[in-house]
Amino acid sequence: MSNVLVDLSNAMAAAAEKAGASTLLVNARRRMPASGIAIAPDLVLTADHIIEREDEILVGLPDGTEVPAKLAGRDPGTDLALLRLERPAVKAAETAPEAKVGQLVLALGRPSPSGIEASLGVVSAVGGPVRTPRGSLDRYLRTDTTPYPGFSGGPLVDAEGRAIGLNTSGFGPGAVLTIPADLALKVADQLAKHGSIQRGYLGIRSQPAEVSSAARKALKREQAEGLLIVGMEDDSPAAAGGLMVGDILVSLDGQPVSDHDELFARLVGDAVGKTLPVEVVRGGQPQVLKVKIGARP
Amino acid sequence: MMKLSSLLEPALDDLLARLKPLLAVVRAGRRGAGAGVLAGDGLVLTNHHVVGKGRGIEVELADGQMFKAGLVADDPQVDLALLQISGGNGHAAVFSTAEPRPGEMVYAFGHPWGQRYVLTAGVLSARTFGRTPSGEIPLLRADLQLAPGNSGGPLLNAAGEVIGLNAMIFGGDQSVAIPSTLIRSFLEQARRSVPGLRHLEEVL
Repeated sequence: MSNVLVDLSNAMAAAAEKAGASTLLVNARRRMPASGIAIAPDLVLTADHIIEREDEILVGLPDGTEVPAKLAGRDPGTDLALLRLERPAVKAAETAPEAKVGQLVLALGRPSPSGIEASLGVVSAVGGPVRTPRGSLDRYLRTDTTPYPGFSGGPLVDAEGRAIGLNTSGFGPGAVLTIPADLALKVADQLAKHGSIQRGYLGIRSQPAEVSSAARKALKREQAEGLLIVGMEDDSPAAAGGLMVGDILVSLDGQPVSDHDELFARLVGDAVGKTLPVEVVRGGQPQVLKVKIGARP
Repeated sequence: MMKLSSLLEPALDDLLARLKPLLAVVRAGRRGAGAGVLAGDGLVLTNHHVVGKGRGIEVELADGQMFKAGLVADDPQVDLALLQISGGNGHAAVFSTAEPRPGEMVYAFGHPWGQRYVLTAGVLSARTFGRTPSGEIPLLRADLQLAPGNSGGPLLNAAGEVIGLNAMIFGGDQSVAIPSTLIRSFLEQARRSVPGLRHLEEVL
């Protein structure tokens, strides 16, 4: 018998099955194993907080077999860790375009060898940038799926079984978040190359300050706040680039910056080593300086 | 294209209308009310913990008919019990033979907190296992909130077939159901061991 309820049900089960083929068991702690997402035939992205030992990591495949894995890199700031399998053994997950609030989703996990596990919900919020206990996230998703034990590191998938992001409860009690797939893959790329995430460094101390209406007019945008530079390290990238105490920093690399979280988020990723335009308001007038972004010591 | 909501709502109304005559209210002495599923020929399936030793069981059907019920078979370890009433409404649930799939839509039907005939939707979360004194048994975990009064009620798939009986007593995990494979073998066993239930063969 076919009706719309059966069709919907079949679609959700098919989504779980499809994404489940790339959802793996990650055994790297003493208590319950958790989950991970295959992003290449030999690469598994998971949550950093579930990696409690760096040796003898085992990844459980959907067919029940296990493959040893090595830690390729980890970033507590985004709670992501990348594992490299001893041999290519998995199918990379398909990713989805940007998530929308209200969208129907499944959180998947594989905390036991007995099969894939699922929880249904909707995307309840899209937020960010946000400071995490040890770093920051440019964007994050919240859902009303149930974070069952061992679901950290597993995917949030859409009704077509495409990964929207990676679920984690690693940012503290009550802070179950989904890291959007594009963001997670960027971090994974850095981890594969460098083993850790380099964070950009300007060498300034700053505080949020109002951008005057005259300066706003000169900027040609409605930006209410910027970061007033109140101190600068000697020989810092900022000093080398010509920034001065008293400047109000209003954008970095063309992206407006109005608080610390935004600056922090703009300095993550591949900014290190690049010479980027930094816009400041000095004496009421906007001015663009070139600053070579350093690596945070 | 038709709007999805204009398809979903009538489909849910239809599902509820088809399911309602299959569900009973089961009371036993001073225990709170639980649920039961009509299995044909005056048989009502419920949880062992809903009826206990089987004294003073009453079964009320959706059309308001009330019956005194006798306990004809039970399995305390798996938490299943089979009741017999002298009559019924001619309806019998279909017990699914399909393998349940994680992610598929499921519905719990019962009387949570005493509210009658409440349908709760979610997905099948996992096929899992539970320990009983006589060994491991398969269980279903569903991603939906059950409450007292859901016990003995069915967990259904989108086609309205029974895939499990909500039990919520194993391991403190709330939404746990006994899968239809165990229910089918329990019914089969009852048919073999209880004289007078041989006619169940046709139902199965």
